[in-house]
Amino acid sequence: MSAPILAGRGLTRTYLLGETEVKALSGVDVTVSRGEFLVLQGPSGSGKTTLINLLGLLDRPDGGSLDLDGRPVAALDENARADLRRDRFGFVFQSFNLVAVLTARENVEYPMMLQGVAKDERKRRASELLASVGLSSKEGVRPDLLSGGQRQRVAVARALANQPEVILADEPTANLDTKTADEVLDLMTSVNAERQVAFVLSSHDPRVVARARRVLTLHDGRIIGPAA
Amino acid sequence: MNLLSLAVRNVARNRRRSLLTGGVVVFGFAAVALAGGFMSQSFEGLRDGTIRNGTGHLQIADPAFFEGNEDAALEHGLGDSEKAAAILAKDPAVLAVLPRIDFVGLATNGSRSVPYLGTGLDPGPEAQTMDTAKLLSSGAWFKDASERGVVLGSALAKSLNVKAGDSITLVATTTDGVLNAVDATVSGLAEIPIKELDERYLATTLSVASDLVAASGRVSKLAVVLREPADAKKALPRLVASLDSQGFHVAGKTWEELAGFYRQVRTLYLGIFGFMGLVLVVVVLLAAANTMMMAAAERTREIGTLRALGTRPSSIKRMFLLEGLILALAGCAGGAVVSLLIRVILNNIGLTLPPPPGVSHGMPLHVNIYPLAYAAGLVLMVATLVAASWFPARKAARISIIEALAHV
Repeated sequence: MSAPILAGRGLTRTYLLGETEVKALSGVDVTVSRGEFLVLQGPSGSGKTTLINLLGLLDRPDGGSLDLDGRPVAALDENARADLRRDRFGFVFQSFNLVAVLTARENVEYPMMLQGVAKDERKRRASELLASVGLSSKEGVRPDLLSGGQRQRVAVARALANQPEVILADEPTANLDTKTADEVLDLMTSVNAERQVAFVLSSHDPRVVARARRVLTLHDGRIIGPAA
Repeated sequence: MNLLSLAVRNVARNRRRSLLTGGVVVFGFAAVALAGGFMSQSFEGLRDGTIRNGTGHLQIADPAFFEGNEDAALEHGLGDSEKAAAILAKDPAVLAVLPRIDFVGLATNGSRSVPYLGTGLDPGPEAQTMDTAKLLSSGAWFKDASERGVVLGSALAKSLNVKAGDSITLVATTTDGVLNAVDATVSGLAEIPIKELDERYLATTLSVASDLVAASGRVSKLAVVLREPADAKKALPRLVASLDSQGFHVAGKTWEELAGFYRQVRTLYLGIFGFMGLVLVVVVLLAAANTMMMAAAERTREIGTLRALGTRPSSIKRMFLLEGLILALAGCAGGAVVSLLIRVILNNIGLTLPPPPGVSHGMPLHVNIYPLAYAAGLVLMVATLVAASWFPARKAARISIIEALAHV
């Protein structure tokens, strides 16, 4: 097996809820390898979203270490972390989180714009990605005129914009009906298979878990099985 | 799509709120542009009035003349004034040299005596370069330098109960302190804009004044009219030096140094409009800050998303500052159009402002296009909007990504 892209050791994260300390993660070990389809499952409050946030460099752990390609990321400043997110990761959110004032194509173009890709190239690649998720006809449509499933497919296309190695998806099907959720999962599994992009999904939806090639179960901030 | 187009779309996202803030900027810009235009017109009018009502651009006299009152007429007079005037007239910047004899005394119609402030002058160049001849309400300006006439302020003429063509007697002390009197005919009556001066104004030819005070070729001062008003400060030392080199011991002052009233009005206007400008800036700042803070709060989750996708904090900050800048520029463009429209209306309805203290006539309202005021309005509004955007921009850039993504 190839070396993991991401490797977390003893990750802990504590939040303050009012004056109470809430331990969201308590010493979690986790690895993410190229091309894998990993699902984090567990009940609400088990630490799935916290772990996704740490793996995606959206948050910093209080303890433990996280390596990207064998190099620790703890000491990186905000700009370096932003550049890594832009170049190496894609994100899919439960509420789609498309930019309301941009069209579907422009939403897909946005990460490429951050990377400095030329305008024409951006347009071409964004059109291709939208076509690959079956939304060619919706390129010029703003998110508020798209259905939930269409929005999530735009979000998947956006996540793929800069050819990331890992796509992190936090409860990607939670706001979708059964049929649409299946379509989005089909899309993710096919992208995973075709592009060798690793997916890390958090979910407590059994249909999502059923698609996983590897499942980690979290409970009260700890992995209770199977082993990372 | 780029950061600028994203900022433009964000401004257009909540149209009503942006229009309201833009409206405040339009109002602010128009107020600065119109107030600047009005001040410029007022300062220009007051400056021209000061210069053309007798002060000239420069005055040159014996140094003691500028230091205090004279005990007797021409106590600090300038001798050989014709030669001095000829030397000054040779300078290419000089348009005219106006010799003046200042004197005070009593004018009498036989039954009533009224004090006056008299000026002896050369009527030809005075009529060409000064406005006094244009202020005549009756009678005529002096035909030539030998005329034995006087022009009286209309209020002085009223006190004396005389009209053009009547005879009066002027009484004054000579340079030797002897009381002297000459007869003169009232050539014309002038409407002097400053009330106190109108009650005392008397102008006559140099020959009458010279006879009255026994000037013997001396004058009180030489008023100098330049071809370009802006040259006054530069020309003064040169002219004084050229007279010095010919043996004259003289000093000089520019119109601005002599015009105390102009300086007072200017300071007053700048104070009033400066305070109003400050109030305006605070109003615009608060309105714009409110808009930007609401925009930042409403878009918290979107900011979290943009950060998650790899947008650097500095770019988030730049986007909000750009939004402020766009609002400012759009508001200034609207403000320029509005101020030009209001200017056309104000200048065509014939409004007259009430006279300021001490002035007998109101001033017609006229608003100039004053480019500096437009530039100041632009700079002020842009700076205010950028300042108003700074705090929300900084806050948006520093927000924790996970907190922003969890924002409802």
